[in-house]
Amino acid sequence: MSELDMSQYLGVFLDEAEEQLQQLDETIVRLEQTPDDLDLLNTIFRAAHTLKGSSASMGFNNMATLTHRMESVLDLLRQGKLALSREIIDVLLAGLDELRLLRDSIAAGSGDEGEIGGTVARLEAILNGQPLAPAGAKGDGSPAAGAGAIGTTATAGTAGTAAAAGASGTAGSAAATGTASIAGVAGVAGVAGVAGAPGTATPASTAATPGTARAAAAAGTTGAAGPVGTPGTTLVLDDIEQNVIRAARVKGYHGYEIRVQLEDGCQMKSARAYLVFNNLKDAGEIIKSVPHTQELEAEKFGDTFTLAFVSREDADTLANIVKSISEIKAVTVRPLVLEEDRAAAAAGPGREQDSSGAAVRTAGLTGEHHINQTVRVDVQRLENLMNLVGELVIDRTRLAEVGNGLKNRLGNEELLETLEEVSLHIGRITSDLQEEIMKARMFPVDQIFNRFPRMVRDLARKAGKEIDFIVEGRETELDRTVIEEIGDPLIHLLRNAIDHGIEEPEQRLRAGKTRHGTVRLRAFHQENQIVITVEDDGAGMEPEKIKARAVDKGLISREVAARLAPREALDLIFLPGLSTSVQVTDVSGRGVGMDIVRNHIEKINGTIDIRTTPGKGTCFTIKMPLTLAINRSLLVQVGGRVYAFPLANVVEIIDIKPAEIQHVHRQQVVVVRGRVLPLIYLGQALGLTRGGLEAENLAVVIVGLAEKQVGFIVDHLIGEQEIVIKSLGSFIGKIPGIAGATIMGDGSVALILDVRSLVGSLGVEASRELAS
Amino acid sequence: MQNLPVRQEKGGIAMATTATATATAAEIQLVVFQLEEETYGVEINHVQEIIRMQSITQIPRTPAFIEGVINLRGRIIPVIDLHKRFNLSRLEITNNTRIMVVELGQVTVGMIVDSVSEVLRLPVTSIEPPPPIITGIDVAYLQGVGKWNDRLIILLNLDRVLRESEQRQLQQEIAAGVEKQ
Repeated sequence: MSELDMSQYLGVFLDEAEEQLQQLDETIVRLEQTPDDLDLLNTIFRAAHTLKGSSASMGFNNMATLTHRMESVLDLLRQGKLALSREIIDVLLAGLDELRLLRDSIAAGSGDEGEIGGTVARLEAILNGQPLAPAGAKGDGSPAAGAGAIGTTATAGTAGTAAAAGASGTAGSAAATGTASIAGVAGVAGVAGVAGAPGTATPASTAATPGTARAAAAAGTTGAAGPVGTPGTTLVLDDIEQNVIRAARVKGYHGYEIRVQLEDGCQMKSARAYLVFNNLKDAGEIIKSVPHTQELEAEKFGDTFTLAFVSREDADTLANIVKSISEIKAVTVRPLVLEEDRAAAAAGPGREQDSSGAAVRTAGLTGEHHINQTVRVDVQRLENLMNLVGELVIDRTRLAEVGNGLKNRLGNEELLETLEEVSLHIGRITSDLQEEIMKARMFPVDQIFNRFPRMVRDLARKAGKEIDFIVEGRETELDRTVIEEIGDPLIHLLRNAIDHGIEEPEQRLRAGKTRHGTVRLRAFHQENQIVITVEDDGAGMEPEKIKARAVDKGLISREVAARLAPREALDLIFLPGLSTSVQVTDVSGRGVGMDIVRNHIEKINGTIDIRTTPGKGTCFTIKMPLTLAINRSLLVQVGGRVYAFPLANVVEIIDIKPAEIQHVHRQQVVVVRGRVLPLIYLGQALGLTRGGLEAENLAVVIVGLAEKQVGFIVDHLIGEQEIVIKSLGSFIGKIPGIAGATIMGDGSVALILDVRSLVGSLGVEASRELAS
Repeated sequence: MQNLPVRQEKGGIAMATTATATATAAEIQLVVFQLEEETYGVEINHVQEIIRMQSITQIPRTPAFIEGVINLRGRIIPVIDLHKRFNLSRLEITNNTRIMVVELGQVTVGMIVDSVSEVLRLPVTSIEPPPPIITGIDVAYLQGVGKWNDRLIILLNLDRVLRESEQRQLQQEIAAGVEKQ
């Protein structure tokens, strides 16, 4: 492939490789927990296979070689010819790490240079070496039946070698070359091989549900029922077949699923099946049969077969037609249920009538079964789209204003009504558009969650702890900018949970807990926020210990420590330089964790909260806005200008009288419910003139930043509003206290306050006031 | 727009040749505007548009010449006051006051000017380097002086006008950062 061609596809290749590596990482770790999950194994195999194919076609031979060996091992696992062990998982994961290095090296433009020899050798050892002996010794027991059924997904080639190996018998003495060794293990498939080989020439990639059903039916004849479903239970229709039925329905036909059971000991099963087919033909049309007609003809089925049938007749008539044939034990005729029917049934009765409406819904529902068609879009494009929509929103508001103005001047005119209508419509469309673009920027949180199982596993092994890692709410969606920011804090929290939270297995047993610790990572939506919790059932934290630690490190004085409430003591862990772990491991314990975590989270307008019970465990709760682009804000007015407080920072709003203001160390304060609250004039903080002192009531916006609370005195409160955050641009740069700007409905610009830096630049003494 | 006969003289001043990158080799196209009594020109390809004066949102803690920001069809654009930038007398807003939106590299900035009069082509040969003493403006901000009919047009060096304010901004930021620590 020429340089030019390469560069054209390189980006796509790298993206896809990253996706596949990520998938492999996640699924292999999952496989360790559920070694019997055949679907999972197949998923892993497919990902490895795809990666092998794409890397080979891009000419990255190291990558292709490594994935090829991994694929071979996976294939053996998949066929049950190799027992899954922790060692194999380790080698596979090591292989993944190397693949990732290769990928990075390719991304860096230096080709897939890297040392892969070691892992390849280990993989080959698995392919050739000792693990084969126990696999062979398992003989022709249950694995053989399993292999027969799994055979559907195997290529005809492997099945062939299996049969050959079965014939040669002495599998153990097979030569140590790659293919021969596969044949060697395949010896166990000997028995099933006879039955399995002819009917199972389905290519691996097309081994979808119908195929599996067929295989199960085939297995039925030989009496070795495979683990994959029971014969002929349900009819699975593919898209084309479903469409035929939909088309037929429109013409007044009904779809039926006809299940025919022949009498036990029926002599000419294929002839009976033929008669059923023949008689039914007069009443309608057979769309599909399971098993396939060829298999029916070859008598390769048990005593039942199922048909998908469209007809104008009713179910009873059809049943009678079939029953008229001799040696039929039973026949059941049921209306075919398509996906949209299920949706309609869920929605309520009358599904026959609204089939057109239901068809619209199928698009969404079938999406679950098919890989969604996607287009990769540059993020910048989405940002631009968002900006354009923002302009539309503003123009819509102005249009409405112009309409109102005209109405005042001209009275009720027909044309004006039309204008009003149009402006309303534009408004609706703009909101929809805005929402859709927002959604396009959303990713499932799985994007970051999926790399954690591997990390947790590795950390747990390193720390010698046994941990069940449970992830919930992977599908929860949030803005990509938030996703980018939340990864690091979560890694810190998970590390802490494993390293400090969960105890050693023996220690847990002594405490009357299970050997296995549990770390639970959850994501869910709550109102307009996303909540992520990291929970462990470990040792928990003791406020007294934290206080002692903070005093030891000289972070707070003994007097201050004594006054701290337990909750406030917990907040001490966010101080830089405090770590409660006595040991410093390479994972954590250096005391640089939680302050960074909190900084990260506050940067994206989030909050973090701790709940802990000594001896029971700890739970960190992070709450964040769904997106960084749109922000719920409290709009206030100072000096005739509008400013926006991010609502995430606002704790409450109070009214005070000027007389209530007291002075402590030249700092204005007010006592709110027994708590001393430092006060700042917003106008003053922004370098404008101070004003509003003569007012009877002062509106105070209390903002909270971690343990600090500060009250800002403003001229007026305007209200709550969703605003789009825009940067001030590089010319102006970063201004302390200002996070950006937003455009209001009337087209004017309002500044968004950066409460963190605003308080940071003024509030050092403020927080001290609080502590004492 | 006025077309002028192009004088076919060779070898303009070095200053001028650099300014003619996009216009025909021997002339440049200028947007001409007024600041107090003087006439200024900016190369037309830097000028994105000219809008009427509008309400400007002030930004605290910025240099005085940064007037604030405006909403230009959904974009937030900083606006600078050239009067303050060049230490001229106080800006008086009239019906003729305009914001000239100029673009230089990645930066888009609105400049408040007293009025915008016309667009004209100026032969490069009529451009001379800035005299050492001219009005009150620092010579560093000037690219040259063009003679057109009997008028003098002062060519602004936008790069300096905009970039230097950026630099100054940066320095202020650094200073502020040091102060904080």
